[in-house]
This record gives sequence, structure tokens and C-alpha cells, in this order.
Amino acid sequence: MLAFLSTVRWQDIADIALTSYILFRFYVLFRGTTVFRVITGIALLGFFQRVAVSLGLIVTSWVMQGFTAVAALIIIIVFRNEIRNVLQARNLHAIFWGTGLKRQTAPVESIVQAIYDLSRQRIGALLVIPGVEDLEDVVQRGIPWQGLATREAIKTVFWPDNPVHDGAAVLQGSRIAEVGVILPLSHRENLPSAYGTRHRAALGLTEVTDSMVVVVSEESGRVSLVKNGRIDPIADNVELSRRVREHLGIVVGPTRRQKREKVKLVAAAVCSVLLITGVWFSFTRGLDTLITLEVPVEYVKRDPKMEILDTSVNTVSLQLRGSESLIRSLKPEQVKVRLNLSGAAMGENTFTLTSENIVLPPGVFLDKVKPPAVHVTLDVPVARSIPVQVDWAGRLDPELRIEFVSVEPDRVRVEGGSGVLEALSTLYTRKVPLAKIVESGSMTVELALPPASVEVAPDEPEEVTVTYTVKKRQK
Amino acid sequence: MHGNRNGRACPNRALFLLLSLALVLVPYAKGRCQSTGSDTAHGESRLQMDQAVMCEEVRDLAPVNVSVVFSVDIGKVSCFTLFDPVPQKTVVYHTWFHRDQESTRKRLALRPPRWSTVSSIQLRETDKGPWRVVISDDTGHIFGIMRFSVTD
Repeated sequence: MLAFLSTVRWQDIADIALTSYILFRFYVLFRGTTVFRVITGIALLGFFQRVAVSLGLIVTSWVMQGFTAVAALIIIIVFRNEIRNVLQARNLHAIFWGTGLKRQTAPVESIVQAIYDLSRQRIGALLVIPGVEDLEDVVQRGIPWQGLATREAIKTVFWPDNPVHDGAAVLQGSRIAEVGVILPLSHRENLPSAYGTRHRAALGLTEVTDSMVVVVSEESGRVSLVKNGRIDPIADNVELSRRVREHLGIVVGPTRRQKREKVKLVAAAVCSVLLITGVWFSFTRGLDTLITLEVPVEYVKRDPKMEILDTSVNTVSLQLRGSESLIRSLKPEQVKVRLNLSGAAMGENTFTLTSENIVLPPGVFLDKVKPPAVHVTLDVPVARSIPVQVDWAGRLDPELRIEFVSVEPDRVRVEGGSGVLEALSTLYTRKVPLAKIVESGSMTVELALPPASVEVAPDEPEEVTVTYTVKKRQK
Repeated sequence: MHGNRNGRACPNRALFLLLSLALVLVPYAKGRCQSTGSDTAHGESRLQMDQAVMCEEVRDLAPVNVSVVFSVDIGKVSCFTLFDPVPQKTVVYHTWFHRDQESTRKRLALRPPRWSTVSSIQLRETDKGPWRVVISDDTGHIFGIMRFSVTD
């Protein structure tokens, strides 16, 4: 155990702590929202996909992999409003540190008193108390109010002579944000006949959002509370107050719900740490998997005046070490070998490959490099006119001799590194066979161009005309 | 009067003689300077290569079977050079290259007024391919480059 602990670096602990906290914050910010449920579902899909792969279920794993791959895109597009609301509705403290347990900001007592005043007077009311999710795409916008949600103000909104009393009022914190809001109607067919349009509208909204709607029946004066597509009759003002507080997450003292929420948060934090630790172990421990990759060498920061004429290797062989999951998910483009040529001089330069030259994804380590050094020849490109010589091959008739030969053009301009061209004194033609030569004549012959770094200048011919004079050989 | 005429004629004659002497001596002096320079081959009266050929052999100071292709079977190839004029005793070099790799360098003495000289190599199977012989003096001046091939 101690031996194991000695191998854990401080970076590893920071790695786990940071990632766990990000996961925990994600839970705190998005819990109870559809986004959280969908992401949980996708995570499960990913898990089952791994299981399917390990069991050899080819089509299942392929389909699940496809779903998981597009899931991030789906979440961002479909739930963009929810994500925006979660991030916009909170300040930086709430995003990075807050627990999500709200303080009392909504005037719950005023709401309860107003609702029961309306109930006693048999005045219909529809009061929306939003949750986390955005209502923008669901409701038909009403009239902005932005007045404090006092007992009198709420009663005024729903007073029968008020032009907007038929719509819903939407609360936002301690204010009535909008009045006369039209809610979507539920299409449920099994709704009891006692429930009218207000109840159907409240149901409609709570079926698609996490809002809570307080309904006061105009006919019976009965108070109902609708949440998650369910209508609950409310017995008295105490129950209404408790339910509203629960919905708002209002903490006025160490209630049972508050304790439950705290336990949930602690459990979520522990789960985050355990989960990330598990993932970290699966990624970074068990460093017994080795892989050898052939990686192309990238030469960077070369002096623009110079050219790379030659390199001892174009690829190097890297022996890498890491956990099986990391090694299996390793993509060739994640591994790079870069040589910085900024300090290179003209001529041959030798670079010893170290970990500084090699870019690896986190958790993958370098064991060996073959070859350990790379030779790079840099030179300044120049052009030179080089004489051409015929490279005769084969066997000439022993009775004959070639007394004279001329080559047109007798010099050809070539381009290449100054060092290479300095050493290049002759350009040879391709092999010219002697066997068929019996009399004087001429022929066109291609040039052979070693080394590869030398090229014929663009306006120069790559062929020459060879004219030869054949005579009898003296005995 | 006579004395006067003589007195005028003497300086004219002396000036004429001086100019004549100068016209004779200036080219000589110029030639002396160039002949002692580093590149002795550039002047008209300097060492000049009159002939250079590759041949199978040299008989009676003349090249035989001049060619640019030699079968390895003949066993030997020679580079014949004739220098005319040779103003003074000097040396030239025949440097033999097989595919740009120097194979051998022969130092050959020349004597005035005209001199022919020859260098040869023995041919082996491994000598097949293109060759050249660079003919130069001790200052590095190149008189000519002879190109030939050794084949089957």
C-alpha cells in the first residue's frame, strides 16, 4: 500500500480532485433538469456500449457508439435554452461554489395569504412558480409586470375586473414577472370533469417543465397545487406554504428536507470522487500495456533561407507505455515528434530525441525511441551548371571504337543545396547500350540525377543529344 | 646655324631612340611579369596543351586507338597529352576519377620546347563505369578534362 502511495504524484491528486469537483458542480447545477436526466442516460449508454464490446455484440456496440457520438451535439442543440438558463440565472459564486439550497427570497407567506383570500372570495387564479427550466419556449408571453409579489398585488392581478385576470401570473423571485400569460393546455383525456381550463393549463405547463402552478378554482374556491403533471388538492395554508417552500428549496431552519438535500449533496460529492478515482485508475494504472508506433518527424522553425536536403529518417519508432484503455484509445494524430531546427546550422545536424521533442496525450509515457538521434542536413539552395558525361554500358563490337563523342547541351543547370552541388562535378546520362552501335550516329538520352535532392532547373532539358563517331579499331 | 641645327637634331634623335627602345622593351617586360605569375598557362607564350586523347596504347610517341569507350578486356587505358610550347621545365598532373571518386594522380614532367606525356591505369572488373582524367598544372589550372567509359 505504501509502495503504491509513493507512486502517486501530487498532479494525480490534483487531477482527481479537479475533475471530481467539476462533476460535482455539474450535478449541483443541472440536477432535476431534463439535461441531467438525458446526460445520465447517455452515460449509461456509453457504459452499456463498453459492456457490449466486451461481450462481442458487434451491432449493438456499433449502434450505441453512434448514439453516444452524436449525444453531445443533441444535448447542446435541444437543451440549449436550459443550459443557458442554468448558467445565466446564477452568478459565478453560484456556479463554482453554491450548493443550490436557496435562501428565502420569495414572499411565501404573502403568496399563501393572497391565494387563500382569493379562495375565500371564489376568485379564480393561476400562479406559476418556475423551477430551473426555462418557460420561454413553452408559454405565450403575457404582459411584463415586475411588481413586488405582495398579498395585495397578487389579489389585484386576479381581480375579475382586471383585464389580465384570465391568464396566469408568473413569479420570479420576490416579483410578479408577467401577467396574462397563456399556458399550454394538457391533452390528457382522463381529466375529471371538476377540473376546468385553469387546471388543464396548469397540467399542460407542468407536464413539459419543472414549474409548480397554484390553481384557485373559480367555482369551488378550492386550492390545488400542480407539479410534474399531477394535481394535488391542498388542505390548508400550512400545507400550501410547506409545498411552495419545498419547491423553491427555501431553507428557514434545519428542516428534514434541508438535511436530506445536504445528505444528497455529500453523497453526490463522494460519488463524484469515487467515480473519477475509478476512471483515473482505469486510465493511468496498470501501466503494463506497451505499444510501438511509427510516427512521422515534424521539422519546425527552420531558417527560411535554408532547405532540408536530407534526413536520416522520416519516421521514428516510439515505444509507449500506459493503461490498456488509454493505449487502446490512442490515435496516431495524438502523438507527435517535433524537431526544432531554429538552432540548426548549414550542413549535417544531429538531434537527440528526448521527451521534449515528443508530444504524448496525458497518461501515456515514453519508453524508447528508435533511432535515438536524427541527422538533418540543411543547406542553402543554389543553381549550378554541371557538365554532362555519357555513361556507356554493354559491349562494343571489338572491331570498332568510338573515336569522338559530343553531348548537346554539354552542360545542364541544376538546383540543389550548395553543399551537395559543390561536391557534384558531373551529371551522367542513363546507361547507353553499346551493343547496337555499328556506325556513327546520334541519339537522345535521359539524364540520371543522383542524389535525390538535386533537380534539373525548370527551364533546362532533362535529355541530351549524344553524337558519336565510330571508326575501325587498329590491330 | 649648323651648330644650331645640330643642336636641335640631337635631342630629336635621342627621343626617337628612347621611344623605339620603349616600344621594344614594354611588351618584353609585360611578358616577364605574366610568366612569373601564378597562372603560367594564360599567356600566349606560356605552357599550352596541344592535344589530349584517351587511347589504348602509345606507339612511337603517338596514341593508338583513340576512343571514349574501352573494354575492360584490353587491360589498360592511357591518357596521352602533348604540350607545345613548353617554355620551361615544369610538371603537369593527370588525375583519374572513377565516378567522381579520385582513383589516382600522376605527376608528369615536361621539358622545353615541346613535350608529350602519357599516364595509364590497369583495368579491373571493378573499374567499369564512367571515368574522367583532369589535366592540370601545379597551380591547379585545368588544361582539359578527358571523359571516357570502361565497359564489358
